[in-house]
Parts: sequence; structure tokens; C-alpha cells
Amino acid sequence: MSNAVQTSWAAQVHGAAKIYGSGENEVRALDHVTVGFEKGAFTAIMGPSGSGKSTLMQCAAGLDRLTAGTAFIGDVDITKLGEKALTLLRRDKVGFIFQQFNLLPTLTAEENITFPLDLAGRKPDPAWMTHVVNTVGLSDRLHHKPSELSGGQQQRVAVARALVERPEIIFADEPTGNLDSTSSAEILSFMEGAVKEFGQTVVMVTHDPVAASHASRVLFLADGRIVDELMAPTRDSVLDRMRNLGD
Amino acid sequence: MFSYALKSLRANITRLVATALAVILGIGFLASGLMLTDAMRSGLTGDVEEQYQNVDFAIIATASSEQSSGMDFQLTVPESVLATARATPGVEAAAGEIQADARVLRPDGTTANLRSQGRSWIADSELNPLSLDEGSAPKGSAQVVLDRKLASEAGASVGDTVSVQTPAGTKQFKVSGISSFGRQDALDDGGTISFSEETAVQVLNAGTPGFSDVLLRTSGDPATVQAALEEALPTSVAIQTGEQFVSDAAESASAFISLLRPVLQGFAYLSMFVAAFVIFNTFSVVVTQRFRELALIRAVGGTPAQVRRSLIFEGMAIGVVASALGIVVGAGLAIGLQALLRQFDLEIPGAGVKISTYTVVLCMLIGVVVTTLSVIVPAFRAGRTKPVEAMRSSAVDTSGSSAVRAVFGAIFLLGAIALLLANRFVGVQWFYLTFGALFLFIGLFIGGPLLARLFAILVRPIMALFGMTGRLAADNAVRNPKRTATTANALVIGLFLVTLVTVSGEAMKTSLVDQLSSASSPDFIVSSQGAIDPKLVSSIDKTPGVTNTAAIKSSVAVESTGQATFVSAASLDELTKSAGLKVTSGSSDAVASGAGIAVPDFSNFGGGALSSPGAIGAGLGDVVILRTLDGQELSLPIVAVYEGSLESFVGNIMNPETFKSVVGEKPVSQVFVRVEPGQADAVGQDLEKVLQGYTGVEVQPGNFIGQIVGTVFDFLIAAVNALLAMSVIVALVGIVNTMTLSIFERRRELGMVRALGMTRQQVGRMVRFEAVLIGLLGTLVGMGAGILLSWVVISSIADGAIDLSFNWARVGLIFLVGILVGVVASILPARRATRLNMLDAMSEA
Repeated sequence: MSNAVQTSWAAQVHGAAKIYGSGENEVRALDHVTVGFEKGAFTAIMGPSGSGKSTLMQCAAGLDRLTAGTAFIGDVDITKLGEKALTLLRRDKVGFIFQQFNLLPTLTAEENITFPLDLAGRKPDPAWMTHVVNTVGLSDRLHHKPSELSGGQQQRVAVARALVERPEIIFADEPTGNLDSTSSAEILSFMEGAVKEFGQTVVMVTHDPVAASHASRVLFLADGRIVDELMAPTRDSVLDRMRNLGD
Repeated sequence: MFSYALKSLRANITRLVATALAVILGIGFLASGLMLTDAMRSGLTGDVEEQYQNVDFAIIATASSEQSSGMDFQLTVPESVLATARATPGVEAAAGEIQADARVLRPDGTTANLRSQGRSWIADSELNPLSLDEGSAPKGSAQVVLDRKLASEAGASVGDTVSVQTPAGTKQFKVSGISSFGRQDALDDGGTISFSEETAVQVLNAGTPGFSDVLLRTSGDPATVQAALEEALPTSVAIQTGEQFVSDAAESASAFISLLRPVLQGFAYLSMFVAAFVIFNTFSVVVTQRFRELALIRAVGGTPAQVRRSLIFEGMAIGVVASALGIVVGAGLAIGLQALLRQFDLEIPGAGVKISTYTVVLCMLIGVVVTTLSVIVPAFRAGRTKPVEAMRSSAVDTSGSSAVRAVFGAIFLLGAIALLLANRFVGVQWFYLTFGALFLFIGLFIGGPLLARLFAILVRPIMALFGMTGRLAADNAVRNPKRTATTANALVIGLFLVTLVTVSGEAMKTSLVDQLSSASSPDFIVSSQGAIDPKLVSSIDKTPGVTNTAAIKSSVAVESTGQATFVSAASLDELTKSAGLKVTSGSSDAVASGAGIAVPDFSNFGGGALSSPGAIGAGLGDVVILRTLDGQELSLPIVAVYEGSLESFVGNIMNPETFKSVVGEKPVSQVFVRVEPGQADAVGQDLEKVLQGYTGVEVQPGNFIGQIVGTVFDFLIAAVNALLAMSVIVALVGIVNTMTLSIFERRRELGMVRALGMTRQQVGRMVRFEAVLIGLLGTLVGMGAGILLSWVVISSIADGAIDLSFNWARVGLIFLVGILVGVVASILPARRATRLNMLDAMSEA
């Protein structure tokens, strides 16, 4: 599927390189990677520590800049954008779910959910807002501060925030890293549901095979290159590939 | 650890300078205040103690127990008393004192010194405060002794002949000797002219025999001598011990300073408070800045006690050095003020700066104690620093909002307001006022975090108008209400004091200047020791800008009781128009028609500090009997009483005919001038020109004491505000510091919001809003407290007579300064926040 002609990528990078330092100290975090993330697909990026999986996500999401190559979100070449345009593009087209420090402690759950829209000075579509909130099961928690919510509930707020603005693409960086297995399963099923029901595009960085098994496609990175790819993964098939990477 | 403290001091020169500067300025202001007060007091009391150091007893007249100074009439001790005293056993020496204004003219006819005094030369060298440096004592009716200062001013030396103006007119005298007073050149501020005893009676006392007092030097048992004196002397005189006499003399000589003393003391206390605050706050900020460094010391094994000790030692070291420097700066400030005043031709009493042991000890003590105390609180806080403290990331700290805090804060605040309102409406008691102010501060400090939260709730809807960044700024400002309150408190105190000093200082100044201006309220006084030519009077009258004039003839008359009294011929109506004289009872027409005289009413002046002259202390309807030139006695009923504010210039007022029959033909000696409002400067210069060519006639601003006081006040207000500017700068540093700390703590969150699409501009705006909000909180609370206290204090000065007439422009300016502090303080933290690398910030674990 990756080699098939795709007319609509939610995001893609071409010959993406990220190089730190120079000479002997040169570290190639990304070594000329070319990859696309299909619209409406749930892609997981896996790899050992230092494989460049987070760097790939950050450069594709416009959080960091490439040393060489191009990156697109939709049909916009983000490597050509200035700081402010890039920020506005992130605000309007990209949703984020982080491992921690996801929410602003002074805002209520509802205010956190609408935060990116508020920054843009836009109002959420009320019907959509209600739908999203009901989906993640937060309707009775909307006026609570993050400190009054459990870790799982906090991540659900983050998911709702990412969904409510209907972004081109959602990037999730270890979204279940801090959660117990029950809460993890909830969050992953919400993300999976968003892809299936709303046609949302999601890219998730994780090192958890169980999390990766919820995706429709898994990319394996090592030493800054894509070394493998797995479609319709299961926990066991992911673990299997992981073991091979280590060799 | 001491070596660490020393190394730390040396390694952080900038920090050291900032801290030391606070101490230096604080102590400097305190020192200059004390030095000026000392200089003024000794200048005004004229070294009374030194002057009368060998006096064992003094004989004074008893009609009034108080002496009046600077006036041309006094109770007199009859000449016969002196002879009786000399004959009393145990009395070694006795001398009668006579003192009056006298001037020495330079060869070119100008006056050498306008404030010089004439005195009778006391033959007994121990009783005589003056010692003879050259030549001999004055003998006969044609010799004088000048003191060293006056001799040099007049350009005269022993053997020269000089013209001397006395109440009896101008006469030539030969300088027989030069005197000095102790280690100083002069006894009286303006110099002393000493006459022989007989001559002094003639020229200084208008021929009336008698003395202002008689000084005695005795031997043997004082009680026995006193009893013998009481036996021998008539009951019209009283005997005082030397100490009693000196303290009375000092008291009356310092009537002026007694008016200023509470004000100067108030400023000294205020400056002490400000100094303490500035020092305290600087240390708090400095220690907060060093939290991470201190955490490191703790991490490598420093005990809490070691951290505490090193900080306290550092504080003491700064305290000692900076206090000493502060005293030097204070002397500089005091000299600067005197020089500044001289630029405006205003000389405050007392020349030079007196650095007394008291001043030095007090300043050193306060400097070191306050600095040490200021460092103890932060030092204990620092001692408690946990090694990992600086790494902590706090989300929302609600520790500052306990119920206990709320209850105590409210109790103190309500108590303060109750006390202050009681002061305002029931009458001021300084005791309650002090406690009210104290409670207000305790309440503000305890309740600070709650006030901060309340403030955030109030501004949140307003800030929300600025969008999400405004909303977040309001929330972030009270994320840690305790810290926000502490930060804002620096500004609260600074602006509280600025407001208090500016608002109530202005009102006090206005009140005091008005009071003093009314004491001599013509715009200008043209005066001469001799005569003012009638042609000159009409020239003055015709000078453009001059609206009213009053020409006054004055002289000393003698009552039937033998006492001298000061009389003037003038029109009450003219005095009213030109000098604001107010007739409080009786009628001015009755005086003009010659039916009687007008006397000053002393009951409302200075709380009765000045005595009434002789029998003329009586009111309307009483009769005064004066001796006329031809030896007759003339009964004059009192038909008018005027407000006792011009009495030292005009005394008892009568119409020209009555005046002539009592003292004979006299020239005009003073002209009071009223000019068009706002024209004082221009007309003053024109008058100077009109006066050219008339020797010995001079023009002075009518309310020059008022001008001095006004200038002193302006200086004090400016000086206090300069010191407070320092505290505002400290507050600014505090806000920068708190914001930087907050941003450091919130860096991950800032990274997150940047990722979510908050632009750099929005982040910068959010941080700036937050700093401005902290500034606004401090400004509002500080100015509010300042205005409240000013409102109460002002009513206390004038018994509610002055309204709180705000200088709104200045209050607005203070407000703007407060906001500006927030804006300026936000620059650095905002830059730091916007330049934050969002990925680095987020990836920090």
C-alpha cells in the first residue's frame, strides 16, 4: 500500500534529514526518509530509543525543522513557512496528544478542549463538540480542573481537544505512556474510533506493541531510517518484528 | 562558611552594590535628616547652654513666665534689682542682660549683617559668654566690641570707627575690641555688637532703665544664697536656677523649631521605616535569586545552619560598611540641601552640618540591625531550601489561601479600617492612628494572597476581553498567590509610601505654609532701619503690579508701669488689604478716629507660645496707659483686636495723631506691599530697582519663613520620593525575578501551548499581561492604602480644616509609574518565554 499511488496524503516527508553536530560528532537523527501518512489512516511509528521516531514525528508535525528535504501537511510545504505561519498552521491543521503536560492547569476540561480554537478566536461547532465530548465520556467532567481528573480522564480531555478542531492530522507522542492498562485501552479505542468513525488521520509514536496493534499500519525506524513496515498489526506480529530489529 | 560568605560577596559585586545601595540611601536619608535637625536646633537656640554655662541663678520679671524672642518688647527687670542682687551675700557677680537688634554699616553704607544683635557687655568674664580676643572691653558711650564674624563682614578692626544702627538711631562708634564665643566666632547667628552697660540701656532699650534678666554667679550653699536673694528682692521678680533659666531660654528660642520638629521627626521615622523596608526587600529578592545556588550548597553537604550563618554574616558585613558610607552620604545630602536653599537666597537656620555622636551611633545601629534582621527571615527560608527545591515544578499552589489566613487577614484589615475611620470622624489620636496603620500593613501582608486571588477573580472577565492570552495571564498571575502577593507587596509598600508622602506631605506643606504665610502675609515688606522717604513710599505705590500698600511708623513706647511696648501708626484697613490682617473684634474705624488702639490677639497664635507684651494682653474694653513724651499719662482704651499674626511687625496699632502724641514724630519704617496674584517675581525685581539709591532700605518677601518651610518640604518630599524610587526599583527587580522563576517552572507548559499553536507574540503578550497584572495589583493596593491613610492623617493636621485636595495629576502619575513598573519588569521574562525552545522545554523530564 505504501508504494501505491496515493493522491491524498495528510502529511508526507521527502528525503527528510535531521543532522545534529558535524564532522566526527555528526549524528543523523533522520537519514533521508521519505514517507507519507494517508488520510483517514491510523499509523504507528515504532523503534528503539534514539531510532529517530520522535524526530520524524516532530518534523512531520512542524514542531521541528528538517536539515534537508521537504515536509508537507496537506499540500502545504511546511519547510517553506516562517515561524508564525507554521505556528498558525499547527493551530489550525494539526492536533497533538502528548505523554504528559498536556493540559493547562488553570483551565477547566472544557476550556482545555477549546483552547486551540480560542487561540484562533473561533468557536467550536456545538453539535460536534457535544458529540466529541460524549464519545470520550467527559460530559459530566467538563467543568473540572485537570487536578480534579484522573490521568486517564486528563488524556481523554487531550484526545477531545485534538478532535474538536477537526485537524488535517493528529500526532500523538506516547499518549498512553503514563497510563495504566485500562486507561490505555480506553484512549487507544477512542483514537481508533476517531479514525474509523470520523475518518480522522492519526500518527502515533509509541514503543508499546499493544498500542501499536491498534493502528492499521506500523513503521519501524532504526538509526534514522525506515527499516520495516507492517500492515494490520497484532501485538504478536509487532513483537516479532521488534525482536528482528534488535539483531 | 565565613570564607564562603566573603568569596560570595566578592564574586557578586553587582548584587552587592544593589544591596549596599539600599542601605546607603536608607541610612543616608536618615542621617541627613538628623544632621539638619541638629544644625537647625543649635542654630535657633543659639548655643544657649554654652552661653549661660556659668550662670548659677537668674532673676527674671514675673508678669509673664515666658520670654518672647525676636520681638522688640520685653518684660524688664528694674535697674534697682541689679544693685540689690550685687549687695546680697553669696553673690560673686551679677550682670543685667540687654539685647536688641543692631546693625553695623560697612564704609559704603550697606549693612554688614541683617541679623546681628546688640548686647550689653558683661564685665564679669565668667558670666560673659563672649571672650575678648583683641583690644579692650567697651567703655563709655562711643565704644563697641564686635565679634570676629561681624568684624570680618563689616571689614572693621580694632581702632576703626563704624556706623551702628540701633533702635535709637544711627551713631558712630569706635571698635574697642574683637570678641569670640567659645570656639566659634559668633554667639548670635548674625553676629553680636556689644555696648557698655550704660550705653546699652540708652541705645538698645530706648533709654528705659531695666534689663531683660539679671545673671548671677554665686558661691557657697545655693539654697542659702537663694533664700537670701528671695529675702532681698521685690516680689515683681523671680529667681530661677541656672538650669531652669537655660531650659526656658532654649525653649523660647526654639519656637520656630518646635513647629518644625514634629514634621522633621516624622520624616526621620518615615525614612527609617523606608530604609528598613528597602533593605529588607532587597535581601528577600537577592536570596530568592540565589535559591538554586543555595540548593547546590545544601546538596553538596552544607547544613541549614551553615547556609543561614553565611547569609547573616554577609548581611552584617554589608550593614556595617554601607551604614558608614550612608552617614557620609547623609552629610553630603544635608550640605546639598543647605547649598540648594542658598541658591534660592533662603538660609535655613544653623550653618554647616553637625555630625553628633548620637547621629552616628543611631545610624550605625539602625543600619546594622535592620540589615541583619532583613537577612534573617530570608536566611531561615534559605536554610530550609531542600537540595531538590529548584527542580520542583509546581502546578497550582494554593498554600496561600487557608481559612486561618483569611480570618486573621480580615480581622486585621477590618480592625485597621475601624481604627482609621474612628480617627477620621471622632478625632485623631496618634496612638490609634499608629495602630491603625500597623494593622493595615499586617492585614495586607497576611491577606495578601487572598487579595491576589480576589483581584484575579475581578480582572479575569476584563482580561478575557483580550482573548485567551489575557485569560491565561490572569490565571497565571495567581497560580502561586503567596508568591504573587509577596512580589506585589514590594510595590504595595513603595507606592503606599509614595502616595502617603506626596498626598499628605503636600497637604501638610500647604497647611504649614499657609499658617506661616498668614503670620507675615504681605507679599513684600520694604523695611529700613532708618527711615523710608515719603517719595519712595509713593514710588512703591505706583510700581506696576502693586495693588495695595500700607506705610507703617513704629516705635517703642513706655507704659505707666515702666514696661516697654511696641507701637505703630498704621491704618487697619490698609493692613487688611496689603497684609491680610484680620480684625477679630472691635472696629477699625474706632482706631482710625483716635478713640483707642488695636492690640494683637494672642489666644489663637501658636497655642499661646508667644506672650503678650506687658499689660497689653488684655482684651477689648481694657485700658492701656502709656507715658507720653511730655511726661503725661495717656489712657487708651482697646477698641479693636486683630489676629495675632503681624504682631512682631506692628505691635499695638494706633492712628498717626495718637502715635505722634505718645512717641513723637517718627519716619515710616516699613511698607507692606500686596501685588497682583502671580506677579510676585516680576514685581519683586521692579521693587529692587525702585529701591536703588536708597541706602539701608531693603525689600524682602513677606512670607519668607513660609518659603523656607515650603522649600524644605519640597526637598523632603523629593528626597523621600527619591528614596522610594529606590524601593520601586527593588519591586521591579522582584517582579522580574518572580516572573523568571514562574516561566522556568512552567517551561514545559509553555512548550506545549506553543506546539498547540500559540504564537510567540501570544506567548509574549501573555507574560507581559501577567507582569502588568502583578504591577497593577501592587499599585492598586498600595495607592489605596496610601490614600486611606493620607485622608486620615490630613484631617489630623488641620482638625478637618483641610480637605484631601488631591493633586490628581500626581496621583495619576504614581499610578502610571506602578503600571510602568509592571511593563518594564515584563520585558526580560517575556523575551525568555518567547525564545524558549519548545521541544527542549517539553522533552525535559
